[in-house]
Amino acid sequence: MTTRVLICDDSKVARKQLSRILPTDWDVEVEFAENGQEALDVMSSSRFDILFLDLNMPVKDGYETLEALKSFEESPKVIVVSGDVQPQAVARVKEMGAIAFQKKPATADDLRESLIALGLFSEGQKATQTAPEVVTAAEQFTLNEGLQEISNVAMGRAASVLANMLNVFVKLPVPKVNVLEVGELQMALDHSVKDESCSAVSRGFVGSGIAFEALLIFNDSSFPDMAKLLGVAEEINRTVETELLMDASSILVGPFMEAFGRQLNIDFSHGHPVVLGQHVKIKDLINAKKALWKRTLAVEIVYEVENYDIHCDLLLLFTEESVPTLENLLSFLVEDE
Amino acid sequence: MSESDGFEDFHWMFDMLHHIDVGLVVLNANYEVHLWNSFMENHSGISSSIAKGQALLSLFPDIDPNWFNQKLDNVLKLKTPIFVSWEQHPNTFPFKSYRPITGIADKMYQNVMIRPVSSPDGTIKQLCLVVYDVTDIAVNKMALSTANSRLQRLASAISK
Repeated sequence: MTTRVLICDDSKVARKQLSRILPTDWDVEVEFAENGQEALDVMSSSRFDILFLDLNMPVKDGYETLEALKSFEESPKVIVVSGDVQPQAVARVKEMGAIAFQKKPATADDLRESLIALGLFSEGQKATQTAPEVVTAAEQFTLNEGLQEISNVAMGRAASVLANMLNVFVKLPVPKVNVLEVGELQMALDHSVKDESCSAVSRGFVGSGIAFEALLIFNDSSFPDMAKLLGVAEEINRTVETELLMDASSILVGPFMEAFGRQLNIDFSHGHPVVLGQHVKIKDLINAKKALWKRTLAVEIVYEVENYDIHCDLLLLFTEESVPTLENLLSFLVEDE
Repeated sequence: MSESDGFEDFHWMFDMLHHIDVGLVVLNANYEVHLWNSFMENHSGISSSIAKGQALLSLFPDIDPNWFNQKLDNVLKLKTPIFVSWEQHPNTFPFKSYRPITGIADKMYQNVMIRPVSSPDGTIKQLCLVVYDVTDIAVNKMALSTANSRLQRLASAISK
């Protein structure tokens, strides 16, 4: 009997990657959903055997979807496929009824092994059939989607490092990818930091024709809890704050860039982190009048730590000249391995 | 020391030199590239495998060959390091600023040290270039001197 599979992920790249690595000798019928709500809608009108579910999605994320599935009489077996590899994320989804957790990006062998272990698929079930999906030009992903997906994976790795080190759970959002002009960048930052004063550190990265800055911005109200997390007992003065800022930047940006570079196969050179400002307004961080650039490709990730008042924004700001190279590199992502 | 130790030593030393955030270039006596670390690779966009064996000046046609060769010749002849400051030559290598978005410099300001490298028999057959990114220092110093001269003008206008 044909197994009915639903792949739910907001990223087209991820949906494609996953559908391509399903065992070719597996008798399946694959459908797709772009977020949890869409998946629930599809599932309420027709029955599926297996749901591959991403965690970080707009509209309805993976956790909410798992929650909603509890009220289904006949719910499919759920395999969570996520870049968020924090131990707590894995534990949570299993508690909520997922039967397995697959780290993103998965390889065909990983998936095959895990499907066999779960008893969902056995070797030689069916003579090799054609690949479930054929890429057509119209389906090719955009630069934004590719960038969003590798940022998503990198963000999950960074959160996992943090979670292991500090024993916390980091809430991961969907990375936002936009092309911004100078004024728009300020507006975007204003929006996320609101009226509060903030502190920021920036680090430059360059490699293989790609240049960007990783800008980390903290709301100043995050410092007391950051000190608590990093085990700093001293009274918080300016020096301690600088120390916290530099430490947080190393811990957050380092593992992120490591995972980001590995996916692109680039060993980036990186400069020393520079404190751009402490207790300043967001508009003072980026000097719009003196800016030498016109547009930047921006990836924005908002990190929040559960049960702590810590709010920080990680921005990857790529130069316009980097875009064609980036586009070219990302196009290899969806190609076969 | 066993052979494997030797390999390990070579490995960590190479890893360190390759990834240090300073440009390192080793040239032979014909001024052809012998070593090209990741700083040079990433900032120039020229990979080590392409740079190796090529004349340094052929990789950067905008560097004035007379000026540059003179420096290299002197290092070999005098067996002494020679320095090129950002104040005399702001961008010896045409690299961009590390922080293209929040920085206010477009190009990377560099200090370059050229020093002789001795071989095991004590003779000098190679040169080493060390390229430092001094963009922040340069930008700050220039901003300071602009502010100072503005102050001086103001002061002299008041005293008149």
